[in-house]
Amino acid sequence: MSGGLLQIHDPLKPKGSAVGIDLGTTNSLVAAVIQGKPRCLPADEGGEPLLPSVVHYANDGSVLVGRRASALSFAHPTDTIRSVKRFMGKSAGDPETQKLGCYRFAESKSVVRFEVSGGQPVTPIEVSGEILRALKRQAEAYFSGRVEQAVITVPAYFDDAQRQATKDAGRLAGLTVLRLLNEPTAAALAYGLDKGSQGTFAVYDLGGGTFDISILKLLDGIFEVKSTGGDSALGGDDFDRVIAHRVLEALGIGHPSPAQVAEALSAARRAKEELSACELAEVSVSGRARAVARVEFEAWIAPLIQKTGVACKRALKDAGLRPAEIDGVVLVGGSTRVPAVRRFVSSLFGREALRDIDPDQVVALGAAAQADLLTSQERQDEVLLLDVLPLSLGVETMGGLVERLIPRNSTIPTAAAQVFTTFQDGQTGMDVHVVQGEREMVEDCRSLARFRLTGIPPMSAGLGRVEVKYQVDADGILSVAAKELTTGASQEITVRPSHGLSDEEIEQMLLDSIENAEGDVKRRLLREQQVEAERVLKDAGKQLRENADLLSDGERAAIDTAFARLEEERRSATEHLRIQEAIRALDEACRPFVERVMNRALRNAVAGHSVEEY
Amino acid sequence: MSHFEVFGLPPSFHLDLDALERRYRELSLELHPDRARGDGAARRAAVERTTALNDAYRVLKDPERRACYLLCLAGVDLEHDERAGSGLPPEFLERILSLHEELDAARRSAALEEVRRMGAEVKAERQALLDQAASALATAPADRAAIDRAAGLLAKVRYFSRFLEEVDQIEEEALE
Repeated sequence: MSGGLLQIHDPLKPKGSAVGIDLGTTNSLVAAVIQGKPRCLPADEGGEPLLPSVVHYANDGSVLVGRRASALSFAHPTDTIRSVKRFMGKSAGDPETQKLGCYRFAESKSVVRFEVSGGQPVTPIEVSGEILRALKRQAEAYFSGRVEQAVITVPAYFDDAQRQATKDAGRLAGLTVLRLLNEPTAAALAYGLDKGSQGTFAVYDLGGGTFDISILKLLDGIFEVKSTGGDSALGGDDFDRVIAHRVLEALGIGHPSPAQVAEALSAARRAKEELSACELAEVSVSGRARAVARVEFEAWIAPLIQKTGVACKRALKDAGLRPAEIDGVVLVGGSTRVPAVRRFVSSLFGREALRDIDPDQVVALGAAAQADLLTSQERQDEVLLLDVLPLSLGVETMGGLVERLIPRNSTIPTAAAQVFTTFQDGQTGMDVHVVQGEREMVEDCRSLARFRLTGIPPMSAGLGRVEVKYQVDADGILSVAAKELTTGASQEITVRPSHGLSDEEIEQMLLDSIENAEGDVKRRLLREQQVEAERVLKDAGKQLRENADLLSDGERAAIDTAFARLEEERRSATEHLRIQEAIRALDEACRPFVERVMNRALRNAVAGHSVEEY
Repeated sequence: MSHFEVFGLPPSFHLDLDALERRYRELSLELHPDRARGDGAARRAAVERTTALNDAYRVLKDPERRACYLLCLAGVDLEHDERAGSGLPPEFLERILSLHEELDAARRSAALEEVRRMGAEVKAERQALLDQAASALATAPADRAAIDRAAGLLAKVRYFSRFLEEVDQIEEEALE
């Protein structure tokens, strides 16, 4: 099969500095290798390396990021987006949107959209794009030069849609994403390069909104991820929510206003941090206070911490290791400052965990090291990362069951091929539904994409055979190619993400963000239909030239009329539906002709083979 | 290129797994797209070759996958050909059926110890079958009867593996 459909970046000429970015739920950081050592750069006012992942949309259409945005979250809770990472790659109906929070969500069939002041509803990709753009600007100020390339980290447990969304956010910010690097892998890289360690390590990464566990083997310059697991919706934010929820309950505030929720969550966050050092902290909402004891807090979050243990055990099992075979445990993420979390990890692995590198910075430092490895020629030979696919990839089969194609924890890049057979006489199309997850039923897995295979030559049931190849690249992102085996015709498939934005939408956002142009949906639809019409006309024209002998005069006249009408509409229509209708009419007129062309192609393909071969 | 050819090995069930791993690491360093220099075509080639390497390693390091792959090379595709490996004795299929029923019962009554006991028992039996299949495969290339014997054994192994996957599933559910 041709490799032409793989989505791969062209090799990148070094231009400006390459940075590593930790796009975190709570805080984001940018780091770069300076004089051979990774360092975090100033990211917020006052030279702070931590940029709070908070974006404020003001009435006048301006956008603020970081501490200045955070300061406005009480006064404008719904226009100030926090923890946007939790919404990346999520559909509008996702349980995440139902949790305790203060946002207004726009009606949407596909992706989550936040209603904010000063303009159109924004998607999580755009909000994340603002954070990345702020970091890019800070890095450019630091280097007094352009910064266009970045390694961006993602939780190892992010699925395809979440990864794609992160990559799109990078594009929106004007960054070439060299690699999406898994956060625990980045942390291990920072430790490994720093200490020159060898052996098998567990990286326990509990951040603001995500939990990851990875088991890695470091040997002779190769960082091989053995297994990974986690929960992409579990983190310190949930600790805050538990506190806020309990306190609001205790204070008898049954229906808190958005401002009260924002206040409670913020006070809960402060209390959580205080409880790492003290036995008692206070949470106040609307001038009323409730004390929270550490033991009480620990009892509230115990079920959440237990959940991380399940993922750890599963990851160990997938790696084929017992806890005693782990040479070291690395703690990553701000939430590992919670004493109960540290105690839990120590008892699970039977050893004290390493915390030598600041758990807030370690991921960004590792990302910077990887950005350096991928861009600078001389260091190429020192280190190689081998990462894995976090969740099994499969397709829907009869009865809503999942057929697993690539098992979780397969080293990437990897691929799988599958042959579909037609099940009806004359069937020319087939629907394919790709899912990610470990469960047997489609409805329990994450829907990644649906697409339709078309152009199968009509044949008896069981004779039409289409091979579909699923390729997962080094970023853990999927692309699909298909080939009809009888005729050998290969086919491009547009994979429509089930939750996410189409390429056109991203392109449009790019245009909007660059020119600040008015989003003229109508004009775009028209342009799209004009492009589609050009394609249809070109295809039909070619077939008519090559296979004119298959048509009677009457049929030819009908097709010519429809053809001319589409040409005319493409040139002059101002309404996209008119073009759409003309395309449909031409398709209709061509249908018997197309079938004959297919049959001829099939006969030609079969000719030259003896019957025995079939 | 066959999975064995990727590693420059002759097709055989018996492999030195440590040597296989060493070779995998060497080849990764050589082929990985992160190390590719030059244009888009060079990178695409690197992705394809690394993909082939990773897939070959996944198959060869696992005894069951390796054995099934050897059968594939001998023309028996247990995974995709419905007829391959059919003709298992009805007693065996009945046994599998009742094993699954027992497992379901244990799952429903949350008898985790019972689930583990069944798992250990089936695992041992599966291993014995796999060993027999391995020795059948050792003589297989020249011997059609040996291939058929191995196919019959591996078809049983696959039934047991599916059973063990279910045991794993139950144990994971119990963790939660």
